[in-house]
Amino acid sequence: MVAKGRIIWVSGPAVKADGMSDAKMYETVSVGESKLIGEVIRLTGDVAFIQVYESTSGLKPGEPVIGTGNPLSVFLGPGIIGQIYDGIQRPLKELSKKSGSFIGRGIVTSPVDMSKKYTFVPNVNVGDEISHGSILGTVHETELIEHSIMLAPTHPGGKVTNVVKEGKYDIETEIASVDKNGQSDNIKMYHKWPVRQPRPYKKRYDPTVPLLTGQRVIDTFFPLAKGGTGSIPGAFGTGKTVTLHQIAKWADSQVVVYIGCGERGNEMTEVLVEFPKLKDPRSGKPLMDRTVLVANTSNMPVAAREASIYTGVTIAEYYRDMGKDVVLVADSTSRWAEALREMSGRLEEMPAEEGYPSYLASRLAEFYERAGRVQANGSPDRDGSVSLVGAVSPSGGDFTEPVTTHTMRFIKTFWALDAKLAYSRHYPSINWMSSYSGYLNDVAKWWSKNVSNDWFKIRGEIYGILQREDTLKEIVRLLGPEALPDEEKLILEVARMIKIGILQQNSFDNVDTYCSPTKQFKLLELLMMFYHSGIQAIKNGVSINDIRSMPVIGTLLKARMEVHDDQIEKLEQLNTEINEQFKNIKSVK
Amino acid sequence: MELNKLENLLNTIITQSESELTSNLIDTLNESKEVLLKSYDSLANEYDKIINNGKKESDKLTKQIIGSAELESRNKQLAILEEYIEKVFSTVTSKLENMARENEYSKFLSSLIDESIKTLGTSDIEVSINDKDETIIKSVLTKFTTVKLASKRIACLGGIKAKSKNGAMILDNTIDARLANMKPLIRKEIATKFGVNN
Amino acid sequence: MAKSGIQYSKIAEIKGPLVVVDDVENAAFDELVEIQTTSGEKRLGKVLEVGNGKAVVQVFEGTTGLSISQTNAKFVGKVMEMPVSEQVLGRIFDGLGRPKDGLPDPIADKFLDINGSPMNPEQREYPRDFIQTGVSVIDGMLTLVRGQKLPIFSGSGMSHNVLAAQIARQASVVGTNDEFAVVFAAIGVQYSESEYFRRSLEESGALKRSVLFLNLADDPAIERIITPRVALTVAEYLAYEVGMHVLVILTDMTNYAEALREISAAREEVPGRKGYPGYLYTDLSTIYERAGRLRGKNGSVTQMPILSMPSDDITHPIPDLTGYITEGQIVLGRDLFRQGVYPPVNILMSLSRIMKDGIGEGRTRADHQEISNQNYDAYSRAQEVRALVGIVGKAGLTNIDLKYLDFGDTLEKEFLTQDVDENRSIDETLLLQWKAASLLPKNELTKVKDKFISMYYKSTK
Repeated sequence: MVAKGRIIWVSGPAVKADGMSDAKMYETVSVGESKLIGEVIRLTGDVAFIQVYESTSGLKPGEPVIGTGNPLSVFLGPGIIGQIYDGIQRPLKELSKKSGSFIGRGIVTSPVDMSKKYTFVPNVNVGDEISHGSILGTVHETELIEHSIMLAPTHPGGKVTNVVKEGKYDIETEIASVDKNGQSDNIKMYHKWPVRQPRPYKKRYDPTVPLLTGQRVIDTFFPLAKGGTGSIPGAFGTGKTVTLHQIAKWADSQVVVYIGCGERGNEMTEVLVEFPKLKDPRSGKPLMDRTVLVANTSNMPVAAREASIYTGVTIAEYYRDMGKDVVLVADSTSRWAEALREMSGRLEEMPAEEGYPSYLASRLAEFYERAGRVQANGSPDRDGSVSLVGAVSPSGGDFTEPVTTHTMRFIKTFWALDAKLAYSRHYPSINWMSSYSGYLNDVAKWWSKNVSNDWFKIRGEIYGILQREDTLKEIVRLLGPEALPDEEKLILEVARMIKIGILQQNSFDNVDTYCSPTKQFKLLELLMMFYHSGIQAIKNGVSINDIRSMPVIGTLLKARMEVHDDQIEKLEQLNTEINEQFKNIKSVK
Repeated sequence: MELNKLENLLNTIITQSESELTSNLIDTLNESKEVLLKSYDSLANEYDKIINNGKKESDKLTKQIIGSAELESRNKQLAILEEYIEKVFSTVTSKLENMARENEYSKFLSSLIDESIKTLGTSDIEVSINDKDETIIKSVLTKFTTVKLASKRIACLGGIKAKSKNGAMILDNTIDARLANMKPLIRKEIATKFGVNN
Repeated sequence: MAKSGIQYSKIAEIKGPLVVVDDVENAAFDELVEIQTTSGEKRLGKVLEVGNGKAVVQVFEGTTGLSISQTNAKFVGKVMEMPVSEQVLGRIFDGLGRPKDGLPDPIADKFLDINGSPMNPEQREYPRDFIQTGVSVIDGMLTLVRGQKLPIFSGSGMSHNVLAAQIARQASVVGTNDEFAVVFAAIGVQYSESEYFRRSLEESGALKRSVLFLNLADDPAIERIITPRVALTVAEYLAYEVGMHVLVILTDMTNYAEALREISAAREEVPGRKGYPGYLYTDLSTIYERAGRLRGKNGSVTQMPILSMPSDDITHPIPDLTGYITEGQIVLGRDLFRQGVYPPVNILMSLSRIMKDGIGEGRTRADHQEISNQNYDAYSRAQEVRALVGIVGKAGLTNIDLKYLDFGDTLEKEFLTQDVDENRSIDETLLLQWKAASLLPKNELTKVKDKFISMYYKSTK
């Protein structure tokens, strides 16, 4: 029985309808004459409280509400990659075909092109016993994505009784039949999954492999692991979005899900314009071929903002189940929390801090818990990961507000953006004193195996200099720099060099935008070497001013922009140059 | 519905006034041109005066004088067009006021009552009318047994004002109200007919 | 929305700007309402909430003088619309879009819902065209781009309107003949301020391509909810239907947010920060996000909202939430203003997010981004040195510190400072940027590629 009710009350995105005793919690419903899409979020007697995902302007009491019988679900199958969806997986391109430049209402579209044909390569044979989650075959979704067609997690599994030969099929084609106790089931290339329910997996691992982003301050100082969680809070103007774009562009994952949740329209456009032109540094293929966008810009209906996060993470889990590393970037979780707050207010729930509902913390926890590196269900064995990176937009830049504080409880890497750094155009404005990463020790093994045994040590030394500088700065603030001995002045100078030459990174510079692990390490090494030579020189009586005016400093600081990833030998030359110049100032003496 | 009739009526009147207005518009246009020409003259004088004060200043003044003059003449056209629109409206009003209360009109009234019942969601209504319609409404109301006639007359061109029994809802279905609602559209139509393009 | 036009006379409650109408059978959310008094006075409002026989109506012109027994509410059967046509150019309207210049209603080409609709992000055209404002600090370091929303964060009494007027007069897109228009919405500002603006447009001959919406300080406060929306509706029409490049100036958005707070308080909603409603962000975004460009359309809507920060506090919810939505901000500094600097732009706190896409080779000049980064960097260092002077005096400074000090002074005096009617070309602006940077040794210019240094660096020695 589907519910058939009548609207009795409308206020913004919130609608009440009576006659809804057949409705289920979180069921999607069609609201009003214009068939707006909504979701049941509370049931009291026969009255359903519905959040509507489209503008309710013009909706009247008395108009019909009809249930669909299904919870809010996403379509999972080939054709998702490269799309830009709204919060409930409607492709924005299709919407524009139906309603033009502005978003219309009550439009139903298919999430992917159902008529497109894919070359299906079977992976199972007739007679195979397979369980849910198993891969039936693969299709070539984009240049970068081999898409596995999997038995839905809810499928009981069974014996393969039929499978189509390799060939071109559209996704509605029944590509296999699976039989369990005489019950035969025809399988298509897609299935649906309710967004609010995490997809199951077999086993969960600890995250130990770094998610490399090509951003020095992240990879070297505050790394994120594949399957890990990170949060990036910052006041406006601190460069949150640019940093997130950088992660989405350069992270070494196979799939990127980018959720623009309550943010600027032009930012989504920027991704849409830029990503197809950018090449993946590893494969040389367009980045758009591995990216899915979910866009609910700030002026789009607020309820769909709440859904967009779940839509995105469910898509991420789906690709994880194929054995891929997926990064999900959510900009911004604060807008999602605000959407929760707005609906909670309309429901007249008792508010907790700053008007947010008391379940804010548990919703955040549930979301971040969907990250992880896992072994997928079914055969063959495969591991995949979902890494979650959420931006937080604390009001007034105050990190003690509820969304930031609750988020900090559930994430392991914290990149604190600093308005002061941003004002002096130190980008990315990640504050090295207040940020942290819980994965540092986990990923150290990878660095020592793949880059250098010295990585952990040198990184520690460089970070030590930054810490020393932080204390010395206080003294300078009180007494002026001349009060310090030359050794400590050298620390200030090297710290300045670290900030300019390593921590700062220009995302708009063709070379500097991505920095390979090797180049990251070489730059660290060079600066450390400079420091050690400097200390030695000072001991030999060289003045700090002579060191400061060494011409190599300028070259060293520009190396991040001037030296390409494939010209590491130029950095070796710098090594010699530094030694030469230190020798020269000594000989002047 | 019978409202077509209202529109037809309007159309006839509009066409009648068309030629009159067009000639007037041409006059206005000429007048505006004169204003513009005059301002060019004064511009030339001003220009000579300040040529020594630098080009920037003179450019500013050029823009200002031409800008104001263009705006002034445009506004004058708007005012005159409006005058004629008003003329059309007052002609329409007086024609409507004096139209014959006959068979067609009785159908019109009855459709208005139908519509009022539908919109208000009750047939238990009271209608108010003007003095002139007193006779005709009585015959119309024979079809509507639940509809009562208010004792108090209202001032309007015609049509009815319907009120639900408890008095909580009123639907203004007088010709005046309908005309007022349609006014922006009618103005656009008149303007188009007079060849004033937006 | 079906035509209804029913008038209801049972008023249950009047509180603050709200009227609650009882026994309402046939009203829609967002519907336009005409509130009538028995004396025949008409006010406009809209439905905020409807159901269970009640409708909550927000009255734009306020509820002063309304009584329970003498008031009735007519539900018009449509949302609020603004009649638009090219003829709105050169016209002055009140805060609800009704003529205020003694001329008749504009003859409409179209009637548009003042709330607009959200632009489909997929249909947006990314902003890329540099708008030359002739103001060095903006063109050089905070470049405005067509389709951008760049607010001015100011404080009471500072010269934000003078700056906005200068931008409105001088703004041009170099190298095209596309038509420019200015839509100005005064939201609760004083008569003198709006008059300054009008005169400024008139004197530059720009009035004929401008539309003014005036809700002045003594006009009804709730009307301010509507003013930016009617203004943007006209702007969108001129941009996307007529093909003009429209610069929309909204001043002062603080007054808008206060009107919103007043309504929220009357509805007894759970407040967010400082008593502002929790949906302030979403609400502001429905205004600011109406800036942009669309694929396949010629025109553009560029927004320059102005807001005065209460007690100059940038963390106050209004500037804070605005900053999260807009593409940067131009912050005016009290210190510079006190020193008599015009424009008193606090360079370090200001930012234009999409500057990078509007400048560079083929748009302004290849070195533009880098020299501007360098100047930011150096100016920030200069500020640190200035702070140091306060502690140790100039004598305690190193040679290089002194050079930074010199740089900072020069940047402020020659590049930042300019006359109210001084219109500088982008080349003049870049020249001044390099002039300041050339006060520093070449070795200090770490953000500029060597090739640009050899092209533009001019030692003064």
